[in-house]
Amino acid sequence: MRQTNRQLLLNLIPDSPPTLENFAAGGNADALTALAAWLSAENREPCLFLWGEAGAGKTHLLRACGAAYVDAAVTPALDTLPADATFIAIDNVEALDGDGQIALFNHFNRLRATGGRLLASAEAPPLQLSAMLREDLRTRLGSGLIFRLRPLSDAEKIATLTAQAEQRGMRLSPEALDYVLARAPRDMRSLAAFLAALDRYSLEHKRPLTLPLLREVLQASQEDRP
Amino acid sequence: MSSFWNSCLSQFEQELPLQQFNTWIRPLRLEGEDNFAAGLRLIAPNGFIMKWVKERYLTRIEELGQVYFDAPVSIALTLGERKTTAAPARVETRAQATTPKAADVLAAALPAAKSSSNSYEKTRLISSFTFDNLVVGKANDLARAAAMQVAQNPGGAYNPLFIYGGAGLGKTHLIHAIGNTIIDQHPQKVVRYVHAEAYYSDVVRAYQQKSFDVFKRYYRSLDVLLVDDVQFFNGKNRTQEEFFYVFNALIEARKQIVISCDTYPKDISGLEDRLITRFDWGLTVQIEPPETEMRVAILKKKAEAEGVALDDEVAFVIAKHLRSNVRELEGALKKVLAYSSFHGREIALDLVKEALKDVIGAVNRQITVENIQKTVADYYKMKVADLFSPKRTRAIARPRQVAMWLAKDLTAHSYPMIGDAFGGRDHTTVLHAVRKIDSLRTKDNELNHDLHVLLQVLKG
Repeated sequence: MRQTNRQLLLNLIPDSPPTLENFAAGGNADALTALAAWLSAENREPCLFLWGEAGAGKTHLLRACGAAYVDAAVTPALDTLPADATFIAIDNVEALDGDGQIALFNHFNRLRATGGRLLASAEAPPLQLSAMLREDLRTRLGSGLIFRLRPLSDAEKIATLTAQAEQRGMRLSPEALDYVLARAPRDMRSLAAFLAALDRYSLEHKRPLTLPLLREVLQASQEDRP
Repeated sequence: MSSFWNSCLSQFEQELPLQQFNTWIRPLRLEGEDNFAAGLRLIAPNGFIMKWVKERYLTRIEELGQVYFDAPVSIALTLGERKTTAAPARVETRAQATTPKAADVLAAALPAAKSSSNSYEKTRLISSFTFDNLVVGKANDLARAAAMQVAQNPGGAYNPLFIYGGAGLGKTHLIHAIGNTIIDQHPQKVVRYVHAEAYYSDVVRAYQQKSFDVFKRYYRSLDVLLVDDVQFFNGKNRTQEEFFYVFNALIEARKQIVISCDTYPKDISGLEDRLITRFDWGLTVQIEPPETEMRVAILKKKAEAEGVALDDEVAFVIAKHLRSNVRELEGALKKVLAYSSFHGREIALDLVKEALKDVIGAVNRQITVENIQKTVADYYKMKVADLFSPKRTRAIARPRQVAMWLAKDLTAHSYPMIGDAFGGRDHTTVLHAVRKIDSLRTKDNELNHDLHVLLQVLKG
């Protein structure tokens, strides 16, 4: 039984693929508007840079734009990126290794010369990345539009989770949501994943969404964390 | 026909900042006005815009509808034809992918005229980098003068021209400006811009395809070769060897070579000595980081190009935060312009401060007396040393008093410590300065304004 729990909760990927439609904007309306405008044909700025703490929505937006997406934390040399991609999205640029940085530098120059686009993200703005990135690359990343993504407020998180729960056909009381928010990791990625796990657990065990059930899933997920 | 929608559009145009209006409202279409009682359909080009409009603007549109038709209206939001329901970017990528092809077709259709011989494909020059839009200051004066001479007289002035300086100072801009000017004045000349990394790729390709003859013939046929970021040749021996021969052949034929690098030739690591000595044959010029005055000038010129007039003090605040290079300075300006356009607010000090938060990130900069002195000296366009000097002319004494006042306000230092930091002055001098400024600022608007700007800059 315990084994089953672990199995469920290790799968921390939210179910629906990220799109611009299902992004909970919260206080990031200006970033989202700028992104939408940037994606429209008239805008020629080659680079847009998003930064913010984990769970603020960087990966979601990078994967939602239809760009060739590479997470530098997974592929630091960037060698999986198609050489002629016209729109690329590089997540966690601070994790690029030496080769990866030169590769991105070359991509940047190519995209700038040919009217292509680069969407990049990190946990800090380019100005704060001088210890991690070569100066020629770092300043290029800082040459375009820079937006900070702010994590959702608690009220916005509750609203988003309620909407997501509704989509799944789950009934979560406000008390249950408060309970989760007070105890689970509070970034949206973990919360959305927790919701998915909760949904599956309740379905598989055929139990309604009660506080004791919530507690069980929460405990199991906390035991799983390294 | 769509008279309600037209009035709706002009209403939103007034209510919303332009960027938001263009992004969210302009792409919408309204159907069913002829028979509004049966309900109106508002058509969004994609789900993203649909969701956004539904959350933020639909109520307002319904309100306007009620006023216009003098009866409650129901408006259904729907998506346009299916093609546009994909994420906007995907449509975009397709459109982009087809553009170069169209250009190729166009180029192929044209007779091999001289005008097409200088296309981007051939020269790799970015046409927007010109001497006209390069801002000149002490930092790049010499480099620009040398570059202009080379552009006027390719192969005859300095050969090679070696331009060095840190990242983001405008080396690439300068090197493209040379190429663009030469093409303008000598359309028959064969000019080629190549980044050192691209040159390296060419060598590798020639090696793999055993086509070194073609490679050599091509590079030796050029009239002007512009090599950017030569430090990337570091440790690439074969590339250096090939470049050595190209270099010799071109110089001998009095063809122009321009090289850029992030350091002085002798400091380039992993480069053969015979290349380094050759880089010194012509003229070596440096581009330095721009001083405050030049950064302010750059910001004002770039803003002007965007049709925005930037106040001196606003430019000053941006310039103070981004010191090391021009590239990020321009990025910061773009951010300020975007922020102002999004919020529909004038570009003033408080707006700049908010906008720059995203660019700078959360830094708790410790304010030091040294920092205050430097900022005040920059602001009043004087030397820091004047603040320590015994001089007591008003043009110097007033800024000194301002700096003391700021030091008292922004640091925890004692009066004697502040006096000490200003050329060993007595603590009573500091006390006097603080009282003087406190009383003056209530009557002197200009001084009060100066203090306001300086406080904003120092507090970040």
